[in-house]
Amino acid sequence: MENSAGTRQTLPEMPDTHVVSGAVYTDKAIFEDEKRRVFGQCWHLACHESELGEAYDYRTFDYIGTPLIAIRGGDGVVRTFMNVCSHRGAKIIQEPSGNAKRLTCFYHLWSYDDRGNCVDIPRPEAYESSGLKKDDCGLFEVRTETHLGLVFINLDDKAPPVADYIGAALDPFADSLGSGELEVFHYNRAILHANWKAWQETNLDLYHEWMHVLLRRTQVGEGSMNTRVVKSFENGHTMGGGLKASYDKYKGMAARDPGMALPGLGPDDFFFVDLWPNAALLARGTAIRIDVVTPIDEKTMLVEWRGLGLKGDSADVRRTRMQHHNQYWGPFGRNVPEDAFAAEACELGFRHGAATRQLIAREEGGKGQDDGMLRAWYAEWARRMGRSPANPTNAIAPD
Amino acid sequence: MALDAEDFTAFIDLCSTEFDYRITVYSPEIRKEMIWLDQDYEGMRALLEMVPQHLKRLGTLKRHVSVYIIDHDATAAIATVTSSFIVTHTDPDGVSQLFVAGTYYDEVDCRGDRYLLKRRRAHLETRDLGIGSHIPI
Amino acid sequence: MSARRYQDRARPPNLRSEDYVSGQVYRDDGVFRDELDTVLGKVWHFACHVSEVPEPGDYRTFLHALQPLFVIRGEDEKLRCFFNTCPQCGARLLGDGAGTAARLRCVRHPGQFDWSGRVVASAQSEDNAESDVLSAAPRLREIHAETKNGLVFVNLDDAAQPLDAFLGQGLEIFDGVFGDDGVEYEVFHFHRATVKANWKAWQETIVDLYHEFMHVVLRTTQMTAAPMSARDMRVYPNGHLAIGGLKADYDNYKGYSARDGSAAFPGLTVDDARFTPLFPDTTIITRGTVMRIDTVTPLDPHRTIVESRGLGIKGEPEADRLMRMRHHNDYWGPFGRNVPEDAFAAEACEKSFGKGAGRYQIIARDEGGRGQDDLMLRAYYKAWSEMTGRLAHSPGNT
Repeated sequence: MENSAGTRQTLPEMPDTHVVSGAVYTDKAIFEDEKRRVFGQCWHLACHESELGEAYDYRTFDYIGTPLIAIRGGDGVVRTFMNVCSHRGAKIIQEPSGNAKRLTCFYHLWSYDDRGNCVDIPRPEAYESSGLKKDDCGLFEVRTETHLGLVFINLDDKAPPVADYIGAALDPFADSLGSGELEVFHYNRAILHANWKAWQETNLDLYHEWMHVLLRRTQVGEGSMNTRVVKSFENGHTMGGGLKASYDKYKGMAARDPGMALPGLGPDDFFFVDLWPNAALLARGTAIRIDVVTPIDEKTMLVEWRGLGLKGDSADVRRTRMQHHNQYWGPFGRNVPEDAFAAEACELGFRHGAATRQLIAREEGGKGQDDGMLRAWYAEWARRMGRSPANPTNAIAPD
Repeated sequence: MALDAEDFTAFIDLCSTEFDYRITVYSPEIRKEMIWLDQDYEGMRALLEMVPQHLKRLGTLKRHVSVYIIDHDATAAIATVTSSFIVTHTDPDGVSQLFVAGTYYDEVDCRGDRYLLKRRRAHLETRDLGIGSHIPI
Repeated sequence: MSARRYQDRARPPNLRSEDYVSGQVYRDDGVFRDELDTVLGKVWHFACHVSEVPEPGDYRTFLHALQPLFVIRGEDEKLRCFFNTCPQCGARLLGDGAGTAARLRCVRHPGQFDWSGRVVASAQSEDNAESDVLSAAPRLREIHAETKNGLVFVNLDDAAQPLDAFLGQGLEIFDGVFGDDGVEYEVFHFHRATVKANWKAWQETIVDLYHEFMHVVLRTTQMTAAPMSARDMRVYPNGHLAIGGLKADYDNYKGYSARDGSAAFPGLTVDDARFTPLFPDTTIITRGTVMRIDTVTPLDPHRTIVESRGLGIKGEPEADRLMRMRHHNDYWGPFGRNVPEDAFAAEACEKSFGKGAGRYQIIARDEGGRGQDDLMLRAYYKAWSEMTGRLAHSPGNT
């Protein structure tokens, strides 16, 4: 009785690479380490450049407890600053998006420009005796780079450029994202009650397509398991490709019109790339979805979903594209609510130790429903964290 | 609906010039009935006109009203209306929460072409209003 | 000079240490525990106004330094303060915020106490108040309570100095207001709100004059009504503060009207504004016709109960009372113009300091104790440092 209650703490005879301990989802110290070693050092996909279309457009967001604001400068360059007033620490801009040449704090009306310079302090003469200078009161700037229309930030000033970090991982999106013709038409966000990695896993795990009625009908039997490709890249990025979908096999859906396919995509293509650690880009012929997951704490996460189409879409085409997107991926769609359900269900298993581990042991030679993406993801986690996912409470390498 | 949309002109247009508005609430702590807002027609108009200049609660408020009793006095051409309301607050991230629950005691002036709100007492059950609100309920 | 590098955010400002405060004072659990013990556990805390407990047996419950307490008026008219817990089993006694109780009953067992905290019945002997069992049974745990100018203060510290010594001259700007013979005040307004911010962030919205730029009504009614040089900030021992010399032109704000002819409180003209933040958690503010008393009560480093009271004169004509309510609500009610903005500000600071994004705040304004000087903020944090034994600019260091 290998799995009897008495022996559930015993790990199966498997290489460490094929097992993930429940502690990676629940341990507070591990989460604190992740904030530093993962989120403090990796490139984070903040938004799509179409969300900052014009000069002085801004987007605000929180990243690991830090309020940030990305703003397109008068020179067209997107920069990111801490959205925190240098004076009394108030969060400066509260709205998620807007357009402003001056970022003015509501509290004492200190103002900053699009480069983060402090440009106005009301009644400044009272600071003369203290020696405080406007020049010392600029906002703190966070590194920002744009790659294939995606705006990335990095809290680590010494990290290599984002293009080096991503390497070849986004090549499958070069024609679509790289066309400069895409824009975001869908955005929603939700707080999910699970560890952030449980969401990322839903985009790394091909085997779970059994959970989705929609995928069982439209995807599992289409093409061949042999034509699927599971790949990994430098820095932990991964890809699942070569999937095909017959959309008309699900009641109420229709085959995609080839004329609506996005640049570089066939109408029934499906592939996805996971950018380590917390982003996933999914392409289904007529629409692209981008997921970003950000932890709030070790058991709560924020997931943001974006849907992309062509800037030049006619109203009719856009409507159809939205329908296609929403069928799978909207909050009232068939798939995403199931993934969220799964992530929260795993949390319930791991939270108090009822489940102690999960297996990522499927091997199909990098095809079919191979767990290769999950293993590659956790191999990078092990490298960054200095911990083995199978036995993570013992650090294997010093800081 | 006009207040939800922050279309204050439209709201004022529904009020009689004799409009008399109060938000009341009972405090079990000091054991007294309190008034938390007390405005006439002109006062309400000025208060609403100034709202856009203030640093107000972010997001939107939405009022949900169920009418319980309508009592129409044909001679005086006045209807008194008692309604239950809840107001939800939706923050800029799209998260909705209950902000306040209470009862409206209204008097509607039915003399003219249009019915006009002559008197409103918004009696609150909720007493912890967090940061409060620049917009009346 | 352009923006600063994110990586440099932990570097302290290039200022004198008294001119800035570390964000750790708002979020650190160790700092918070010390505040409970060494600050809130030692100071006199405003509990309620005497008008809230007018008759023997009237009580008022509240939380202070996370301790459930209540003030009750005894048969002898004396106000006493007790822990709102049964000394035998720890269960709560009074569930409501206020009321009148013939006896204080434990919710869990038959223990009963009178208004002076003595046991009058217990599980062992319910009917025999004179038995040995009762005389040996523990009384309610009592803490110091004293009254000054109708304000009831309590102190958790058994070795506390008398209230008068703690306050010193801290209430002097209200001498004419409270001192007038025959005037009795009463509370007509009470609002308790939970604000998602550190308790000191709320107190700062009072102590900080510079932030009047945030309030439309202060920009229009106060900043121009009297010269900055007429403002008079005072710092007293034990961290108490006061400011006088503020004036208001109420008719400069649309919808307000000048308050000429309205019944101002004794010692004040209708356009006077004065306030005194009593260290560390109470403020008394007057604006000619109205008086507000605020207390802040922390629940944890990130959540605070703010209680706000409005006072009028006992027995005044109804028209005056309605006038005071209106004036109070104009600025200070939950649907008023100012207080929701202050709460907004406190919560916006929490969003940066609460999780450690914001590192420092600057309190370096010097206007010779006038205008919008940060003098009072510096004095507040000086008193805080003295009591906690931690440095406000670097609270990890003692």
